[in-house]
Amino acid sequence: MRLLRTIATGLQSLLRRKKTEQDLDEELGAFLELAAEEKMNRGMSRKDALREVRLERGNLEVSKELVRSGSWESFVETCWRDLVYAARTLRKSPSFTFVAVLTLALGIGANTSIFSVVYGILLQPLPYQDASRLILLNETTPRVGTLSVSYPNFLDWRSQNSQFAQLAAVSDVGFNLAGVNEPEAIMGEAVSPNFLSLLGVKPFLGRDFDPSEEKASASPVLLLSYSLWQSHFGANPSALGRTIMLDGRGYTIIGVLPPNFRWPGKTDVLEPIGVWAAQNPEGVTQRGSRGDMVVLGRLASQATFAQARSEMEGIASRLAKEYPGANDQFGVVLKPIRDAFVSEMRPAILALFGAVIFVLLIACANVANLLLVRGSGRTREIALRLALGATRNRIIRQMLMESFLLALLGGAIGLFLAFVGIRGITGMIGPDRLSGATVEIKGVVLLFAAAIVAMATFIFGLVPALRSTKTNVLANLKEGSAGAGSGASQNRLRAVFVVAELALSLILLTGAGLMMKSLHLLLSVSPGFQPDRVLRMEMDLRSAQYDKDPAIRNFWKRVLDQVSTLPGVQSASVGTNAPMTDSHGRTDITVEGMPLPKPGSFPHPDVHVISPDYLATLGIPLLSGRNFAPADIESSQQVGIINAKLAKEYFPNGDAVGKRFMFGRPSTDAANWIEIVGVVGDTKLYGLTNPARLETYRPFLQAPRSEMDLLVKSSVDPAAMTSAIRAAIASIDKDQPIFAISTMNQLVSDSVSTRTFTLILLGLFSGLALVLAAIGIYGVISYSVAQRTRDIGIRIALGASRKDIFHNVVGLGLRLTLIGLLFGLIGAFAVTRVLSSLLYGVHSTDAVTFIAVSLVLVIVALLASYLPARRAMRIDPIVALRYE
Amino acid sequence: MPEKSGDVVQGTLDMLILKTLALESMHGYGIAVRIEQMSKGVFKVNAGSLFVALQRLQRAELIKSEWKESENKRRAKYYALTALGRKRLDTEARDWGRQVAAIARILEAS
Repeated sequence: MRLLRTIATGLQSLLRRKKTEQDLDEELGAFLELAAEEKMNRGMSRKDALREVRLERGNLEVSKELVRSGSWESFVETCWRDLVYAARTLRKSPSFTFVAVLTLALGIGANTSIFSVVYGILLQPLPYQDASRLILLNETTPRVGTLSVSYPNFLDWRSQNSQFAQLAAVSDVGFNLAGVNEPEAIMGEAVSPNFLSLLGVKPFLGRDFDPSEEKASASPVLLLSYSLWQSHFGANPSALGRTIMLDGRGYTIIGVLPPNFRWPGKTDVLEPIGVWAAQNPEGVTQRGSRGDMVVLGRLASQATFAQARSEMEGIASRLAKEYPGANDQFGVVLKPIRDAFVSEMRPAILALFGAVIFVLLIACANVANLLLVRGSGRTREIALRLALGATRNRIIRQMLMESFLLALLGGAIGLFLAFVGIRGITGMIGPDRLSGATVEIKGVVLLFAAAIVAMATFIFGLVPALRSTKTNVLANLKEGSAGAGSGASQNRLRAVFVVAELALSLILLTGAGLMMKSLHLLLSVSPGFQPDRVLRMEMDLRSAQYDKDPAIRNFWKRVLDQVSTLPGVQSASVGTNAPMTDSHGRTDITVEGMPLPKPGSFPHPDVHVISPDYLATLGIPLLSGRNFAPADIESSQQVGIINAKLAKEYFPNGDAVGKRFMFGRPSTDAANWIEIVGVVGDTKLYGLTNPARLETYRPFLQAPRSEMDLLVKSSVDPAAMTSAIRAAIASIDKDQPIFAISTMNQLVSDSVSTRTFTLILLGLFSGLALVLAAIGIYGVISYSVAQRTRDIGIRIALGASRKDIFHNVVGLGLRLTLIGLLFGLIGAFAVTRVLSSLLYGVHSTDAVTFIAVSLVLVIVALLASYLPARRAMRIDPIVALRYE
Repeated sequence: MPEKSGDVVQGTLDMLILKTLALESMHGYGIAVRIEQMSKGVFKVNAGSLFVALQRLQRAELIKSEWKESENKRRAKYYALTALGRKRLDTEARDWGRQVAAIARILEAS
């Protein structure tokens, strides 16, 4: 309250300055008159009386100044005057201002961009109420790791636990949406009715699910995501109550999710778990059936994560004993919901954040150097002002104001750069990996930018300001030349800045070098197949017309017939779980004759269901035996192909062909045995960095699937085939959506995109750092040459060879570079390990990389000192001696 | 001009002004003269420090001011204590008394 009033009176006197001045004038005038009058009463003349008063009471003008400066508003005023003065001085040296502002803008822009990413992806609070109490639960086995939850287990968890206030089951579902726009595939979640209230989310429009909608008798209803509502229903509230066709079934829209709703998976719609249950009866009844379900829980008010975990582990081990057939070796794993949103990009983002901070420090060091040069050019001006009575503090303040103005301008331009930069970066990350995070310039980001501006002002402004005002007034006024002042120590300080810049740049360069080498090694890893000119797309037959088996088989056969005759197509095939995609289907197998392991320890290969041309389309080599043939049909012998890794582990004698295995646990039904007819090469199913895994293949005619990838190898650019293929599919079923269209090459590069992203940005930042450091060293050397012009002139006149001079100057640059190199190498050695998780095939202290980047740095630094050295060499002694 | 003009002890000018104004409202010159009189000429009040202190006290709402006619028909700014200022004077006087007594004890002990 008091503070407010103080501010108010201050503002008042600022705004009504004239009135305040008049008041003060009048009051002091009255003071003078009253004092003088008294003296005049004692018989003094008016003139003498006034003189006396001034002597006794001090100069009234000085008093006025004292009163004025005693208030905060006068501080604001002088600051404003300083700012105007600073703007004027900066305008007088446009090239200095340009370089300094640009340098700072780059540093601040890079920082603001990356901070937006850090905030958007890693820091931004999740849009849930009390998100820190939300836990995700999965099942787990020692052999496979994290797994989906079976619905009967979820029901038991829910009834037996006491540490969670609520639990909700969340199952990934996909639909074919037809009849609104083009047929398309959408994603969603089937959830327990308490899902939204558990998260603390209210529908944007319409109603939440009702508890009765947990039962399988629930009628089909759904909530739309905000974006789907926008794109497909024109954001029209009348969408509520409408019926839309998903997989050929009518669903009534009962609500719309809020715009900021987030879930780890892509969520276009939510349906109640009861509707899911009606369509997945085996998922509800069979405890061993684990689809795509995760359980969400909110901790009870007193519970801790550790308590919840130990209780859940107890429940899981009881359930494992109670239902050994389905649950033996199955445990439970808990993680805070935040972890589900923390992408694999986290280490990359943090490393990049560190990198931009380095860039900012380098930029600050550079500007500090520029200011030091300017400061030494201004020694006379400063000495003069000190002599005229300015206090040192006042001059420091004024110089800081100049730095602040530079930082402010840099910040404004930097913010603009960030605006552009953020778009580029989010483009590189891609919407899939953002998983709903919004990366943009928000309030927090602006605050951050303001903080850097303030910090930068002090980092680069304070040292030069302190340094340039610490001068000997007399000496500087006497000295004829503009400069030299405290030359030696100034130069030492500037050398320190340059060494720091070089060291920081080297660290960044090392990081970029390591990433480059990793990416190069990674991209030369063979994926186990030929991705060139192969187009891949997904289809999922969901509508009722494909319920009966021959319909599925016939559909895929017709697709293959149609597509393989399209012009430009070399081979067309269908298959499941194509490499480098997110779709994986794994299951336990029993190999004939193997010792029986425990339930959680069966071999658990990926299963591909393929058409015979699949191997040819992807160029997967057949190592022994035969490929599937059109004759491998339902009624003939069940056959399978295995990959080299499975063959090596379970048939170490190389005699896999002709042996048998079956899916699932051992059974006595002889019809379940599948004969191995061939062995093929391993593929990098889960991305280039992941080791090969066990794989099995089955002919689609013997094991038809409704969800398949269509893979087409063409003799032309595969992307150009898309529309022809679409038309071919539409001619078979016009409501059948095709989705996830991409080339296999695209998928391969997507699988290393976090690394590519890191490399591009790290490369950019280290390049920037290198340029700034080069400017820094160039500045220092050329300044020292300019300072020593006379000295060099004398030495030439005395017979020093130009070569000596050249070596002398370059030697100075080399000395600085080597010191910077030394510190940089030590620093790089210490910090490159933060990149470890992003590196592939190269250690974070890889000697070759360290040597290579050191060479780059030395060469650039030498080039930067070469130019001033050449100038030094050409100094004409006569001109140099006449100079000054 | 007096031979030796004692500056007011650092930080006590505010208290002295408050004390002066406790009796009656007064203009700047009056305050200066009164302080000098009461101190029997030990303190000399400089106009600069006086008006800075007055501004400070006014900002802190310990005193208030208004323009009035002075005894010799001259317009002058008169200062008066506020309730807050009266309270502050009481506490400061008490604290001061304690401090002086303490300092005296220390000086006598040595």
